[in-house]
Amino acid sequence: MGSERKPPQTKVLILASLSGGYRGADSVGQLHTDYPSNTYILPVISAAIFPESFYLNSFEQGIDAILVMFSGTDSPFKGSAEKTAEIINHAYALMKERGIDTRRLRLVAICTVCTAAFLREIHRMEALLEEIGPVSAELSASPAPEPEPQPA
Amino acid sequence: MPEKKPKPETPATFARLPKEAPRLGVYICYCGGNISDVVDCERVAKVLGEQPDVIVARTNMSMCSDAGQAMIEEDIREHKLNRVVIGACSPFLHEQTFRGTVSRAGLNPYYYHHVGIREQDSWVTHDDPEGATAKAIRLMNAGLAKARHLEPLEPIRLEAKKHALVIGGGVAGLRAALDIAERGLKVTLIEKTPFLGGHMAQLESVFPTDEEARPALHELIEKVVHHPKVTIYTSTVIVATKGCVGDFQVQLRPVARGVRGVAPGIQAAIEACPVEVPDEFNYGLTRRKAIYFRYPGCHPPTAAIDWEHCTLCGECAKVNPKDIRLEREMTTFQITVGAIVIATGFQPYEPRPGEYGYGEYPEVVTLPQFIRIMAMAEDAGELMWNGHPVRQVAMIHCVGSRQVPGVHEPQPDGKVNDYCSRVCCTATLQATADLRRRFPQIRIFDLYEDIRTYGRGHEEYYRQASLSGVRFLRFHTEQGPVVIADPTGEHPLVVKVNDYLTWGEELEVPADLVVLAVGMMPGPIEDLIDVLKLSPGNDRFLLEVHPKLRPVETAVTGIVLAGTAQSPMNIQESCAAAEAAASKVAGLLSQGLVELEPFVAHVDLGRCTGTGACVDACQYEGAIQLETRVIDGKEVQRAVISPAICVGCGVCVSACPNRAIDVQGWTLAQYEAMVAAIAAEIPALVEVEA
Repeated sequence: MGSERKPPQTKVLILASLSGGYRGADSVGQLHTDYPSNTYILPVISAAIFPESFYLNSFEQGIDAILVMFSGTDSPFKGSAEKTAEIINHAYALMKERGIDTRRLRLVAICTVCTAAFLREIHRMEALLEEIGPVSAELSASPAPEPEPQPA
Repeated sequence: MPEKKPKPETPATFARLPKEAPRLGVYICYCGGNISDVVDCERVAKVLGEQPDVIVARTNMSMCSDAGQAMIEEDIREHKLNRVVIGACSPFLHEQTFRGTVSRAGLNPYYYHHVGIREQDSWVTHDDPEGATAKAIRLMNAGLAKARHLEPLEPIRLEAKKHALVIGGGVAGLRAALDIAERGLKVTLIEKTPFLGGHMAQLESVFPTDEEARPALHELIEKVVHHPKVTIYTSTVIVATKGCVGDFQVQLRPVARGVRGVAPGIQAAIEACPVEVPDEFNYGLTRRKAIYFRYPGCHPPTAAIDWEHCTLCGECAKVNPKDIRLEREMTTFQITVGAIVIATGFQPYEPRPGEYGYGEYPEVVTLPQFIRIMAMAEDAGELMWNGHPVRQVAMIHCVGSRQVPGVHEPQPDGKVNDYCSRVCCTATLQATADLRRRFPQIRIFDLYEDIRTYGRGHEEYYRQASLSGVRFLRFHTEQGPVVIADPTGEHPLVVKVNDYLTWGEELEVPADLVVLAVGMMPGPIEDLIDVLKLSPGNDRFLLEVHPKLRPVETAVTGIVLAGTAQSPMNIQESCAAAEAAASKVAGLLSQGLVELEPFVAHVDLGRCTGTGACVDACQYEGAIQLETRVIDGKEVQRAVISPAICVGCGVCVSACPNRAIDVQGWTLAQYEAMVAAIAAEIPALVEVEA
């Protein structure tokens, strides 16, 4: 056993809206319901601030999966839900180009009391990561294209 | 549009202080064991203490205690800390506490970042203390990464007009107007119809007290009408708004009433009118003239002309040429207010033709219609409807509420009303009680999916109905009741239903009247939504920022919700919501100064090339605009934010091809740094995570 090396721990980034997913995560905590510790929740006012490149860069950095827990059509900000969905769709295209399994990025609507849905999404993503492994394997199998020369 | 003069270049749209090298203080709270029972807080402090720029890393049994806060204050002063990161409970609990802490020590309060390691770590990793500790280290490390990018921010301070606009003259609008005025603020109340009172005026009594509805309403109206701080405009709508919280410039368009004053002899003028239209006060059960009073004793006590149906024949004016003027148009005018209360109310669900026989059989009516039928009925003798005595009544619940896709027809927008309208169960049972009391010989059948008499005293109606012999039959959504003509001719109708209280037995209920307990839908306010940039929810009612923590605020600062514009509510709840809205308005405006969080968009003018992508993406008119500036002698376009209008949603951030916009306090660079920190190799964690 001593010589057996555990597979590297995967990292799941959760971008959780302050009006929905982040409070949903707090609600799960208040229930004292366990979920894996490789989950890192960052509060966001609205996920619409992230351009598609943000997701790709996060995978390049070593984040193995991203759950965007937004407020869906209940977002208090006009147009932000639609914009977020549009950006995620573009991110999928970039991920495909880069050889990253698109299932690593999921956009889910989570409200402040959606504890069951919150846990289901985490467990679903953990199960997926167990199946497909860390992102590093996909990235090394498909080297990044040479960066285009930047104007001076 | 008048041409704007180019403005001289300024270094930034928001004042910033020179950057200093970060000197970080890190604090990990035990939370009395809530965190430290699982997370090894000392180890977290040790690992973080070794990170770049960290000057002190400490733990405390209770960081929010006076002693904990004093320790932080002392460290800031002694070690000249310029960034503070605290790992503790949810930021929703103590973020403001610690902002105060760092502020008292002389540091800008936005030089502090809070990391939640209780609800989102120790409370969800009980069986994995090593993992919980590693997670706390990574989350705190991400907090350090963000803190290095923090910039000092100042709250946005704006002068505020001590004047509020209330839109809607129903019970919620009236209540909100009175409460705001009682707090010493000026109020303008507008109502789009010629009369005040809304739907409450159409009720005879209100639950759970069975108090008479109109006297209670009139008492409220009298107080509002005679309040020196309140100005009321009926037949008036908003056509445009500009500005922001504290200073909304609102264009109002009134429509002439057509009748002046109490107008003695006006009844003769009304009788002279040759036009008759369905009377909306009685939900189309009766007819009225094109010059009319809403009901006897209505407010204002002046008749009005229904311009939609008036033919301008002049018959009424011939009777009373002094007081009647057939000129509809009036001049638009502007008011400036600091805040706006939306109290636009609801409309009852209108069953589609054929739904439970509605529109096919005159004996099928809605609950609001039934309430009017009862109001117009003589107490003595029999209840008559459509020329025959009513001996059996069937009430059907959940019509237009709790609809299921695939079972119910969608609305024109393709959505069904899947929400519960909350009010109709008790309203139906109250109507049942009224019917039982006044016409005890009538047999009553109540067909329901679920009875939701949730409020205080509401269940009593159900109990009384059960005791008084009302027969309850329970159906399932997918096997709803079917209303057909009675083949025997004994009664006009038969309601067929599978009753699940008798294990699904198919029953036939002969009925002389079928009452559909229709739900609530938001009023037709698409124009207002557009003008004020409000967000409706999936159910089409207006959305609050947060249902529990900011329950009456919209995403547009300074615009608040009152009553059923927000969701189905009964009168008691509408008044409570109106009072909450009034408190919010008073809190905002009473100082004459509005202070807002600085989390709004900020343009880096060094990067902005004036593409306009941000302006196109922004949904909030006036929040971001292109302005002409002079740079190096050339006129160029640059994005400029109006901090008071910007809601900080960040849609513009992702739209900008030059990364020239960020939301202050939540910048992309901060997120990138946090992600990098979460993903980073931390030597002290290698053993734990291997």
